[in-house]
Amino acid sequence: MNRNVEYMLLGLAAAWLIMFLYVVLITLRERKLRKELDRVRRMVEHPNK
Amino acid sequence: MREKIIIGLALFAGALLAWNMNTIFTALPDELNQGAIYRIIYFHVPANILGMLGFGAGMLLSVGYLTTKDLRYDALAASVTEVALVFASIGLATGSIWARIIWGVWWAWDVRLTSWLVCWLIFGGYLMLRRAVEEPNQRARFAAVVSVLGTVNAYISYKSIEWWNTQHPQPVLSLRNGGGMAPGMEAPIYWNLLALACFAAILVMVRVRQEAFAREIDTLRRMVHAQ
Repeated sequence: MNRNVEYMLLGLAAAWLIMFLYVVLITLRERKLRKELDRVRRMVEHPNK
Repeated sequence: MREKIIIGLALFAGALLAWNMNTIFTALPDELNQGAIYRIIYFHVPANILGMLGFGAGMLLSVGYLTTKDLRYDALAASVTEVALVFASIGLATGSIWARIIWGVWWAWDVRLTSWLVCWLIFGGYLMLRRAVEEPNQRARFAAVVSVLGTVNAYISYKSIEWWNTQHPQPVLSLRNGGGMAPGMEAPIYWNLLALACFAAILVMVRVRQEAFAREIDTLRRMVHAQ
């Protein structure tokens, strides 16, 4: 396995980087949604606060 | 229950991928003409297959929404389409890196590549449209129309290597009458497809749950405004 190894590794790195970035993105989105859901639930349960 | 399914799928997909990577990097020889770079096919082809299947599934779910007006179809369509776009991105990126070595350029305005890029842009627009429209039913209706148009383009892209003379290689999988690879080299493509399909299923499950959260937030906000 000698010829073009660098570009092969670049290709694999690109694939995993895209996947990793998407996982980070949906993790952050999940955190934001849960926080917002808690906030709105509290507003419904205690409307005067 | 959903958490257990996600963990089970992740463990299965991780183990399958590790075993398959071991086969690809240690057992398989370099391709005679391309050298090591041909191994990109083990990600490029499964990623593009998942992208195309995801766009197709998203379109069917969008049609489901249009016929029933049930927003759960729309939520599922949005989730599947977003994950499909991630895999289409992987397909485009890995294809471009392969082309740099084999064709000597990062990109060629070939029918297959261009139609797939247009498809990627249409579904990128689909996600932007969903963010731009507030009213859920209107958003679902507009998104469904874009999904149908995008999937027609995806099908054209899929068939383009048969319909036109393209720089992009002809089918290599025996499933598609390609038969250009030795069986030992072809099998890991299917195993990688299975492993990546499991990852795709996990991502879709997480996204569907997020869509449910978003719907609940929307309903609760309306209740707060009505109080």
